Amino acid sequence: MTGTPETPALPMPAPTPLGPAIEARDIVKRFGAVQALGNGRLTVGRGEIHALLGANGCGKSTLSKIIAGTHAATAGSLLIEGRPVRFATPREAEAAGIALFYQELSLIPPLSVAANIFLGREPRTRAGFIDRTRLRAETEALIALFGDTAGPGLTPDALVADLTPGQRQIVEILKVLSKSPRIVIMDEATAALDARQVAVFFDILRARRAAGVSTVFISHRLDEVFALCDRVTVMRNGETVADLCIADTDQDSVVRLMIGDVRKAGRRTRADRPAAAPLLQADRVGGGRLRDITLAVAPGEILGLGGLQGQGQSALLRGLFGADPLTAGRLRLDGQPVRIRAPADAVARGIAYVSGDRVADAVLAGRSIFENLAAAVLVRERRWRVGAGTLAPRLAGVAASLKTKYAGLDDAIGTLSGGNQQKVFIARWLATGPRLLLLDDPTKGIDLGAKADLFALIRQLADSGVAIILYSSEEAELLDQSDRILVFNGGAVVTELSGPTLDSFHLTRAAYGDAA
Amino acid sequence: MTAPSLSPSGLSTGSRLATLAASPLALALMAIIVLLGLGEMLSPGFARGDQIIRLLTVAALLGIAAAGQNLVILAGGEGIDLSIGAQISFGAIIAGNVMNGSDAAIAHAILAACGATFLVGLVNGLGVTLVRLPPLVMTLGMMAIIQGGLVVFSQGIPSGNAAPALMGFINQPALLGLPGILLAWAVLIVLMGLLLRRTALGFAIYAVGANARAARLVGLPVRAVRTLVYGLSGALAGLTGVFVIGYTGNSFISVGDQYMLPTIIAVVIGGTSLAGGTGGYVGTVAGAIALVLLQSVLTTLHLDFWGRQLIFGGTLLLLLALYGRQTGPRV
Amino acid sequence: MKRALPSALSALPAALPAWAITAAALTVLVIVNGLLQPGFFDGTVLQSNLTTFLPLVLVAIGQTYVVLAGDIDLSVGAVAALVNVVTVTVIAATGDGPDAILAGLAAGLAVALACGLVNGLLIGVVGLQPMVATFGTAILFSALALRILPQAGLPVPDAYWQTYGGAVLGLPTVLLILLLAIGFVALLARRPFQTWLKAVGGNRGGAFQSGLDLRRIRLSAYLISALFAGFAALCLTGETASGDPLLGQSLGLGSVSAVALGGTLLSGGVGGAAGSILGALLLGMIGNVIFFAGLPFEYQTLVQGLIVLAALAGGVLVARRR
Repeated sequence: MTGTPETPALPMPAPTPLGPAIEARDIVKRFGAVQALGNGRLTVGRGEIHALLGANGCGKSTLSKIIAGTHAATAGSLLIEGRPVRFATPREAEAAGIALFYQELSLIPPLSVAANIFLGREPRTRAGFIDRTRLRAETEALIALFGDTAGPGLTPDALVADLTPGQRQIVEILKVLSKSPRIVIMDEATAALDARQVAVFFDILRARRAAGVSTVFISHRLDEVFALCDRVTVMRNGETVADLCIADTDQDSVVRLMIGDVRKAGRRTRADRPAAAPLLQADRVGGGRLRDITLAVAPGEILGLGGLQGQGQSALLRGLFGADPLTAGRLRLDGQPVRIRAPADAVARGIAYVSGDRVADAVLAGRSIFENLAAAVLVRERRWRVGAGTLAPRLAGVAASLKTKYAGLDDAIGTLSGGNQQKVFIARWLATGPRLLLLDDPTKGIDLGAKADLFALIRQLADSGVAIILYSSEEAELLDQSDRILVFNGGAVVTELSGPTLDSFHLTRAAYGDAA
Repeated sequence: MTAPSLSPSGLSTGSRLATLAASPLALALMAIIVLLGLGEMLSPGFARGDQIIRLLTVAALLGIAAAGQNLVILAGGEGIDLSIGAQISFGAIIAGNVMNGSDAAIAHAILAACGATFLVGLVNGLGVTLVRLPPLVMTLGMMAIIQGGLVVFSQGIPSGNAAPALMGFINQPALLGLPGILLAWAVLIVLMGLLLRRTALGFAIYAVGANARAARLVGLPVRAVRTLVYGLSGALAGLTGVFVIGYTGNSFISVGDQYMLPTIIAVVIGGTSLAGGTGGYVGTVAGAIALVLLQSVLTTLHLDFWGRQLIFGGTLLLLLALYGRQTGPRV
Repeated sequence: MKRALPSALSALPAALPAWAITAAALTVLVIVNGLLQPGFFDGTVLQSNLTTFLPLVLVAIGQTYVVLAGDIDLSVGAVAALVNVVTVTVIAATGDGPDAILAGLAAGLAVALACGLVNGLLIGVVGLQPMVATFGTAILFSALALRILPQAGLPVPDAYWQTYGGAVLGLPTVLLILLLAIGFVALLARRPFQTWLKAVGGNRGGAFQSGLDLRRIRLSAYLISALFAGFAALCLTGETASGDPLLGQSLGLGSVSAVALGGTLLSGGVGGAAGSILGALLLGMIGNVIFFAGLPFEYQTLVQGLIVLAALAGGVLVARRR
């Protein structure tokens, strides 16, 4: 690896002097009979970081994909730097200086980091072969932007398949930046990053802003939006409802614009804290990168798992469920030793697991809502016959308790929005009457209304005696819901927060490894 | 998405009909009607009752074998069974040897043929699920092993022949003018429907095919399901072998080879996705009938062999182009 | 996870590549064959063996690029048959001088490219499912081959097979062809195109979002595959010295086996053509060893099936150890 201290900063293309960076007027997009976008408007000035907000299914992703050339608009006009454009492919948008960060990752797992970042734009020798030296040097310069927050193993030659989710997201960001775009669309680009990485990322975006780059920033984290952005456009039900200056508004107003009415989860009363015998006890369990984790959770209790992203919280939940079996330590259920080697073992013992990664872990793609709802019940109740007659009303009832919106149980699961899909996958487990519910970042990428519904239900479940272990990448959620929080760092529990220490100050301090 | 929650049945009848008309099953049925009409035009008497029964008998042999292929493909994971043809030969030779012309031994022959091929199918399944070989090469290797094994052990000339009652079952009317094999096929169609729509196993096959990871996370035994479908595919191929020897009277070593690729085609033009998780057996039945009809219409055309093949290949591609298209990049 | 060939060589050999078992099995077979067949390592014997193996090697190389992109080409056998009958027919129609031979070769390769174009358009552009579509086009190509030459026959001029069986520039022709093929493989491995193929096979949606032209890339892979099937047909023509519309029927599935043995994932995204060459040689050596071990010819299919599965299973187990 040649040291390249002299590598110049990425070249910044000079802005042309016409009109705002993006001006989207009255954009309409239909997918078959479904109208995803009724009246999408967005104006982004030169050198502006512009937030695009809205509940899931409001059309913001569709609008950004139209700007980036992934979708073609059904109607409406799009002006880039004052010139009317109509992109047929992502490549045409790219040629116009636009780069989109994809919410669904665009990386190729079996290829190296360098090959992924420069895919389709590889530096070549004069003979037309890949210039490996230049490829590696340019990739190293990009990785250096994230400094030591990139973490070990993020090298130009590493395979993307071997990276952590956070590192993959960094690679995806670097891929966008490597195109030196004049307009960047960051759609949920921070979802898998930890706080330090987010801070570095924001610094990068601010430096780009200073150089005249315009950013469209899409995020479900309002504090990020308010920390970073200059203006905000709010969308609801496929229409643009507001375009505001961040300085002139506040979080509550924006939330009201997004969902119409604000539902704020009240804090759980600690007085009725259950004193029951523990349901599940883990004694020095380990496996993979998990080390010596000891915990207990009682019926009626919500145990939170905190810390930076990817410190072993998900690994523990998957381990307890048997998805990635634990190799060390002992588990007890109701005081009796148990071994859980596969999810089937866990299901048989009344344990349920809800993953935030819906597409990979939960969706039975192409199947009906009914089938997606019934999956766990059939296994749990060891049914060999599937009679829709009795099962359907029962499952519909569970789905209704979560305010799941759908047209008919026979419709394909793909017809639902992300938030409603997630409700289906939670209802799938509720129908089994679980005793222990493992929630692995269950609200990732779903809208605020759905979140409120979910947490109302989770609290109700805890009150009815279900033990719950909750991991959430959003600090506020964790603090709002948990009775206690175990803070993770490097695959181990560094501290436990409860009572007076259960606040964001202690949580943040412990997450960064400063726990006294 | 914005509809009120829990309306019992969302889509209007009109849009349901529209969806149905564009479905592979409907297209296969239309193809069947068009082909029947065409055949009758070209050669009067083509669509006569006894002719249709003769065609359906041939289609039944393909359709029964394709049921196994259907299950394997539905269960996903790039599932495919290229050993079906060799297993049909295997089943036919076992059945021929066990029966050896004796009516009393038919039940034994069926048991022996299906049992042996079920076990061979399980080996396929274990190779795919435990050793994690790609299904294509696992079943391709198994095809070579069976074909080679049959040649080695029979010295090229298999002994044994069909019992008269079995031949009657296939070739002579049994009930309502229909031969037994069509009744057997009808029973199989009902059983496949029940299996896929009304049992947990069928549910698991779809779930595993749609998303194996999610299926495992709800506690479904993914490997067991995938192993079992190969076993069932083997057993159905063995059963086809028994019927094939009943149809022809005696067997030869490569008697089943001609069925291998048509089973895949019948499944695909019947609307089952090769990616797994969507489709069903009724479509496959229509696909098998359409395929046999097409061959038969082409035979009546008095074309040279190459001309028939040209039209056959072209029609196949046309059918695929009508609805077998991939949905483009997953964006 | 398997590593791409070049990076595995430059990095420490932390894990054996998936084709290691294939290479080991090939070595064993070469040694066994050397013991069984006197003079196995003589130039003429090696040349005659290579003559037998070369067609599958070439087809397997072409197949690799299609498989890397996550597709499959089952029509290569039919393409080879069509190229063979076109070549011999064109030669017969234009006399039997060197010009006629060159015209025949050119016509054959042009037909191969046309076949690849049909496959590539149907799969890359129209969007048909690759396995079933190439099976369909195989039926078409075979039908055309039968139309052009209904029965085997139509010998080629002596100069054709003499050159193929002889030497060019002091090297046996078959060796020269193999070296050229290896050169092609090595050059293509360093072109961005091979990365794009792996991207298309590794994550099609991601490749599209990255701005790659999926249609052109998949189409190109089918062109390469058909072209190599054409080369294989010209070699087979040199070996049999005549036309045969039914030639090459085992090449389709045989080449897929060779590609899999060579460590290329059939689901796409991982692998390379160098391994496929080893895989094809292994398949060829099995037949050789059976012959010289004095086993009846009937054992060949059986043993081939067993060895392919054993080698692949071994490869999977070795790769999983990591």
